[in-house]
Amino acid sequence: MSNYFNTLPLREQLNQLGVCDFMDSAEFLDGINVLKGKKLVIVGCGAQGLNQGLNLRDSGLDVSYTLRKEAIEGKRDSWKNATDNNFTVGTYEELIPSADVVINLTPDKQHTAVVNAVMPLMKKGATLLYSHGFNIVEEGMQVRKDITVIMVAPKCPGSEVRAEYVRGFGVPTLIAVHPENDPEGKGLAQAKAYCVGTGGHRAGVLRSSFVAEVKSDLMGEQTILCGLLQTGSILSFDKMIEKGIDAGYASKLVQYGVEVITEALKHGGVSGMMDRLSNPAKIKAFEISEELKNIMRPLFQKHQDDIMSGEFSSTMMADWANGDKNLLAWRAETGETAFEKTPAGDVKIAEQEYFDNYTLMVAFVRAGVELAFETMVQAGIKPESAYYESLHETPLIANTIARKKLFEMNRVISDTAEYGCYLFDQACKPLLADFMTKVDTDLVGKNFNEGKDAGVDNRTLIAVNEALRSHEVEIIGSTLRKAMTAMKSIKTA
Amino acid sequence: MSQPVVQIANLNLKYQHKPVLQGLNWTINRNEHWLLCGESGSGKTSLAKAIAGLTHSYGNIEIGFDPKSSLPAMVYYVANWFQFKDLEGQSNFYYQQRYNKQSTETTASVKAELESFGKKHGLLYHEAEPILAALGFSGLVNATLIQLSSGEHKKLQLVKALWLKPQLLILDLPYNGLDTLSRQNLNALLEEITEAGTQLILISNETELPACINRIAKIEVGQLVEISADERSLKEIEVSGMAVPKFLTEDISASTSSEIIKMVDVNISYGEKKVLKNINWEVKPGEKWVLHGHNGSGKSTLLSLICGDHPQAYANNFYLFGNKRGSGESIWEIKERIGLISPELHWYFDPSATVWQSIASGFYDSSGLFCDPGYSKKVQTDELISYFGLNEYKDSLMNELPLGKQRLAMLARTIVKNPEILILDEPCQGLDQQQTIHFNKLVDELCKNGTTLIYVGHFEAQIPNCIEKRILLENGEVKSIETLIEYAMEHTYTN
Repeated sequence: MSNYFNTLPLREQLNQLGVCDFMDSAEFLDGINVLKGKKLVIVGCGAQGLNQGLNLRDSGLDVSYTLRKEAIEGKRDSWKNATDNNFTVGTYEELIPSADVVINLTPDKQHTAVVNAVMPLMKKGATLLYSHGFNIVEEGMQVRKDITVIMVAPKCPGSEVRAEYVRGFGVPTLIAVHPENDPEGKGLAQAKAYCVGTGGHRAGVLRSSFVAEVKSDLMGEQTILCGLLQTGSILSFDKMIEKGIDAGYASKLVQYGVEVITEALKHGGVSGMMDRLSNPAKIKAFEISEELKNIMRPLFQKHQDDIMSGEFSSTMMADWANGDKNLLAWRAETGETAFEKTPAGDVKIAEQEYFDNYTLMVAFVRAGVELAFETMVQAGIKPESAYYESLHETPLIANTIARKKLFEMNRVISDTAEYGCYLFDQACKPLLADFMTKVDTDLVGKNFNEGKDAGVDNRTLIAVNEALRSHEVEIIGSTLRKAMTAMKSIKTA
Repeated sequence: MSQPVVQIANLNLKYQHKPVLQGLNWTINRNEHWLLCGESGSGKTSLAKAIAGLTHSYGNIEIGFDPKSSLPAMVYYVANWFQFKDLEGQSNFYYQQRYNKQSTETTASVKAELESFGKKHGLLYHEAEPILAALGFSGLVNATLIQLSSGEHKKLQLVKALWLKPQLLILDLPYNGLDTLSRQNLNALLEEITEAGTQLILISNETELPACINRIAKIEVGQLVEISADERSLKEIEVSGMAVPKFLTEDISASTSSEIIKMVDVNISYGEKKVLKNINWEVKPGEKWVLHGHNGSGKSTLLSLICGDHPQAYANNFYLFGNKRGSGESIWEIKERIGLISPELHWYFDPSATVWQSIASGFYDSSGLFCDPGYSKKVQTDELISYFGLNEYKDSLMNELPLGKQRLAMLARTIVKNPEILILDEPCQGLDQQQTIHFNKLVDELCKNGTTLIYVGHFEAQIPNCIEKRILLENGEVKSIETLIEYAMEHTYTN
């Protein structure tokens, strides 16, 4: 198998990267009809598998689960999840041959093995559904020509997929059809129907391609979503300790701060987040985030370039073959950081205090979101796709840090994201060493406004606001957020 | 005479920028146990929270703890709402989550929760055991918090308070969701702790109260007014002059299937524990049922099956509207025909929706409104808001309103689409007597149109007149099914 994207001529590469259509709700009027009465068999029953299955069944579809023999015989968690909720569970041999749609919801690393095992059992003309395109695009999985290959990717954790469905809404979802495998031309109709089955059609659906999904997803998770949140958290904590801020306070500020700050991002975009700062703090955050963008731009570009060329995936797959040597070493290293080992103190931090005392993180988030977005768009990814993979997902990842710090974030995200996150973190920390020497506690640990008068120059403030609000991520964001305004807030602190 | 336990002078408090308490004075002397009753929204909860130091107020509140008492010198407030968190400190729970089984447990067990409470306050676990037994809670100590029903959460709150025995205990609507026996046992336990030295402020509109209650007051125009027991019971109930909106009087008895609900040997179990056992039950169009049973008898689970909220419906011989569940219908097709209210639906409802949005969301059975309902639905929503007297609150967020007003909005949501079936699971929780009587009259009115009704209420005085059949559950089994024509005729209840 070879990298699918690299086999394409440039014209076709650009063509597939550019598939991006924010779908009108009228496109979903046919509901689940295309899949009604068809046999849907889900491979794997983790959080996504179980919750998508519960939704699909409640929408009137016929859902069952297939697991490996060992998982069934060992009555593992996946088996319990499915049987406790009264789903039929069977081996590949028992269920795949009669399946009309086989839904692969296993981790990336298992995709090749799973698809190789189920494909020979699939009936002629069946459909194979993915929720991530890595296997097709980066590993170049060749699927039998009579099989339709589609993707439906809810852009939220599994529990949210269920919670939003039962309240009559859904989560934003990305759908795609693999152009090499749509022999009957039914792929898009099936993807839409599946989307209705999970409730995604109510919260905004983006039509994408396998290529665009993979290249933007990898970029987002490596840079702003996981990589920069990790680097920024560790550097902020270390700075506070260096400057004598109480360790318990520092730990709490960093653990929960990123969630509180990005909650504002979720509702009002980058400018909404920056508006939570006082005027002088906003101008300062703007200035240092400009500086951060300049420092980190080459690193963001390198990540995007390596993702496009396939360098990233081949390096990671080499590490898979090497028993995850690098991944495990970096994971252990993250577990040993002072931030990770210092428990959050028993102090009350008011919501606004997270902004006033953690201006540095606001600057990191603004720099990271805008850089990731700009770099993706420059590489040929459309703004809508770039928005989902940068700004939209940042609060979701921040929530995992609030729960149990970086360990939790790296546990929840895929191994692919985790690997990319460490790769970024390793390179970014030395890059920011000089910058961090200039940072003091007014930016992290203490109230920026303390001892300052609140006055600012009119023209400077207007220019800053203008620069923030006219950025393309804000313009596209305001349109897309309208479609998902009803998303409920996630709160920990 | 020793100094007063509570002395409040010139207390002023605003709720959402509206003055609620205005120059309120109140003296509570030792051995006085007060009942605070009266209209929803009059400021009872605000006053209680002010005494417990949980909300900001202006004026003077002095608490005179008894230094010689062995009881904890603290004010403990049991809220009319319950909160719990998962093991990661989050409370992002969603409606019907407790019926979805996921192998990893995400919330603590009742026992762990109680142990951590006991540790915090230096209490001995064995002293909680008689309280658990009296409230019928002993069998639940190994359950996880997410598995509890709303009535069970209420009991858990009460167990903690009764175990703690603070010098001053404030209970806000403690009887909500409790069955008759639990209410009696709660009253007995309250007698015990007041005899042992705890002083009680009870916020309630119920009539069966612990005998220790010796003073009664209500809040009127921001001031405390003491009333006698006679004044309380003799209160005349005015009947609303407003006619029921016309769209709610349209005949809806057009259902074609001979049974709306048919259960054949339905069983629900969680692991070893059987929650429903061999349930056989049929409901025909237009029938008016009351569903009775103790806390934990399986009522909520039974109703969750009917409302499309329980995954185990798919594994049972269970028919809705003539179709077997799992034969290709979606839960939204089922919900479309049902108007549901339950304590859980209210608890998990989107708190950031406005009253208007919440009511209009009843057309779509969603928690929060996600689309433009169009002209005629908007008009119906407006009419119902007027009928329920919620005009001044229509743009307020649900979580800004007192519980009783929230509940009125939820009731309006339940009936806004004039559904074929009404499932009213303790609909009047949090309402005052007058509102309860009004609502039940409205239910009687709606039921003239051929509506099918299933009503759950632990308070026998609160059942609408139109009820004609009763199903009684006991430990997950159907104990009896009977026709209650006399009941409907004479308004008397014979068990």
